[in-house]
Amino acid sequence: MKLGFKVWLLIFVLFFSLLFIFGLPPKFLDSGVTITSVGSNSTLFDQGLRQGQTIIAIDGNKITNFEDYTNLVSGKFISGIETKLIIQTDKGQYTYYGDTFPDLTVKEISKTNLLLGLDLAGGSRALIKAENKSLTQSELGDLIEITQNRLNAFGLTDLKVSPVSDLSGNNFMLIEIAGATPKDLKELISKQGKFEAKIGNETVFEGGARDIASVGRDAQSARIEGCNPGEAGYVCTFNFEIVLSRDAAQRQAEITSTIPVNSTPQGNYLAEKLDLILDDNLVDSLLISEGLKGRVTTQIAISGSGSGATQEEALKEAKAQMKKLQTILMTGSLPYKLEIVKLDTISPILGEEFTKYILLAGIVAILSVSIILFIRYKSWKSSLALILTTVSEVIIILGISSFIRWNLDLPSIAGILATIGTGVDDLVVLLDETGSKVSLSIKQRIKRAFAIILGAYFTTVVSLIPLFWAGAGLLKGFALTTIIGISIGVFITRPAFGELLERFKKE
Amino acid sequence: MEQRNWHDKYYKLLLLIPLILILFSLTYVTINYQKTGDFFKKDISLTGGTSITVYDKISSSQAEIDLGNKLQNLNVREIYDFGTNEQRALIVETTSDWETSKSILEEYLGYELVEGENSDIAFTGSILSESFYSQLLVAILIAFLFMAIVVFIIFRNLAPSGAVIISAFADILMTLVVVDLFGIKMSTAGIVAFLMLIGYSVDTDILLTTRVLKRHEDNLNTRIFGAFKTGITMTLTSFFAILFALLIVQSFSIILTQIFLILVIGLFFDMLNTWITNVSILKWYVEHKEHKLKSEVEQ
Repeated sequence: MKLGFKVWLLIFVLFFSLLFIFGLPPKFLDSGVTITSVGSNSTLFDQGLRQGQTIIAIDGNKITNFEDYTNLVSGKFISGIETKLIIQTDKGQYTYYGDTFPDLTVKEISKTNLLLGLDLAGGSRALIKAENKSLTQSELGDLIEITQNRLNAFGLTDLKVSPVSDLSGNNFMLIEIAGATPKDLKELISKQGKFEAKIGNETVFEGGARDIASVGRDAQSARIEGCNPGEAGYVCTFNFEIVLSRDAAQRQAEITSTIPVNSTPQGNYLAEKLDLILDDNLVDSLLISEGLKGRVTTQIAISGSGSGATQEEALKEAKAQMKKLQTILMTGSLPYKLEIVKLDTISPILGEEFTKYILLAGIVAILSVSIILFIRYKSWKSSLALILTTVSEVIIILGISSFIRWNLDLPSIAGILATIGTGVDDLVVLLDETGSKVSLSIKQRIKRAFAIILGAYFTTVVSLIPLFWAGAGLLKGFALTTIIGISIGVFITRPAFGELLERFKKE
Repeated sequence: MEQRNWHDKYYKLLLLIPLILILFSLTYVTINYQKTGDFFKKDISLTGGTSITVYDKISSSQAEIDLGNKLQNLNVREIYDFGTNEQRALIVETTSDWETSKSILEEYLGYELVEGENSDIAFTGSILSESFYSQLLVAILIAFLFMAIVVFIIFRNLAPSGAVIISAFADILMTLVVVDLFGIKMSTAGIVAFLMLIGYSVDTDILLTTRVLKRHEDNLNTRIFGAFKTGITMTLTSFFAILFALLIVQSFSIILTQIFLILVIGLFFDMLNTWITNVSILKWYVEHKEHKLKSEVEQ
């Protein structure tokens, strides 16, 4: 049987879709694990290990999947014993020494180019607006830049911060973080992060590049001082160095020059303390030694503490507090008080199961439809055609989604299902038109079928257009995948099916 | 004169069925609107509020009693695994804001909730959800209007286009009433389902109208019956496909369950509205036209 142009076109499009989904060479042949984050103050980061690289081997042992990885690294590090770890990635080899596991997270390598949205891959999504203020486009742009910097400084890299606006002209900032949800998400994204160092009522310096030239983050200039039992559990203190700008140092000298000195058994200190204030809460009060009075110094040590029920918890808390302070000192405060207006978190494990069930539901739906068609037309060809057309449509939608780097979220899945639904309807129209008793050529009949199919197509497309803007575009995925799906259906797959029917009838 | 079958005799009378249903639905929706200020019951994605999913085996009835006076408009339910039928999660919905809800729930459970690990959160602020709600209603209106324009362009004739549009409208209206009678609280996803319904319901109406108006072989009744055979296959396939999918998704996704449930109800009414409402109006129109044509010829 000779294949016509429309069938060739379908085969061509299918081929490219598979190429987009799996890449060349096909990604499902790849092995290893993908790095999702590397702590920016880790020595591995300094050597060039980055998020997105693929770990192929550890200590010379080949890694094919996530299980291999966990088997190789779990139990490797014992507190107090310096251990060496050699990580081989697709970009090079990195060596780590330490007694704790490096600040590194990985995930199973993806076997396709498909981008799974939060509903399927897990993660968190927050829609944010300024409190009591409507932001202009440029204000929103500034806000996004600062937020991006702050999240990156915190070590989160697998994220997207984007502006969205809705039908009523409101502007929002949309933050999407893939994978695990950071524990202090709210602190990170909506706390203004206003840091002030004050002596009495006078501000000496604030967070951000204007007053602060650099923030120490390496092992020498930032450390946990020690842990002690406190009132309830343990308290650990941290300490890190910062370098002030000339102006800020000058200001400090002027303010301290007028403060009297107190003599105490521990030493001579100024009568007023340096108060470190974060979002109007006192973090710590530092004694200022006599020697600093009226002197221009740019080196300052910042300290604080974290507490917890156990020493381990207190240590973790102190580290987190230190990281937060460092981040805020580096990036400065957000220009507006922010409010989370919508927040969704989805566990990664749930997402995986979700994908499984969606596939199951899809298969059951397609099978039940093929059975109904078989009963109605008493021909296995129509059922087979249905399965082939539907499967090709899904493959092409996924191919296009990979090509345009579209994140498949729950609305997109609903869109794919809608496409399958209209596909079945159109096939039934085609089967009935070609099978009618009218004395018309098969070409005429298929043309008639397409008059109906196109009518239905245009009504569906126009009814989806408003969804691109309504509801801050969060349901855009539905409109997009449905329109892509039914367009492919009406212009590529269903005509090819018509052509096949034409051949069958002629023979 | 060809023989008149029962449909020829009674099709106008049949119109009473959808007419009564439409009148009932309109009254229901109007009363509902006057009483509650809304067309349907809304869930927290449209009223604003928090939904916390805790991945643990916790009794919903007990939680409901214990948390009832602490969280506003509390609604608690359990989620079961499709395969093993074991409880996998507890979902707590309330109109309280997320930080309050989370701390109250943590106090009740006696452990910390970590999103993405032992729990998940979905929160929508009330101002935002109000604006979502009004925007989605506008979206439905615009979608409906666009659909009507396209239908009119396709048939370029007021009565048949009107019949398609009335059928689609009746479809949405009746589905809305049944959804409300079932006590379903509509979410943003539910509104999307109504958009899908516009597309689905118009499909069969376009098929019918095209077959009846643009084809000239066979008589009117044969054309209608031919369209019916095709159209009912279309609707039944979609109906069963969605019904089976619904059985699977109801174990894990509230959002998809709502979309599918609305579609199943909608497709049921689509059969009624296409094959009674639309057919009767269309038949009336065609017979009236043929009659007029005949009397003009006689003159």
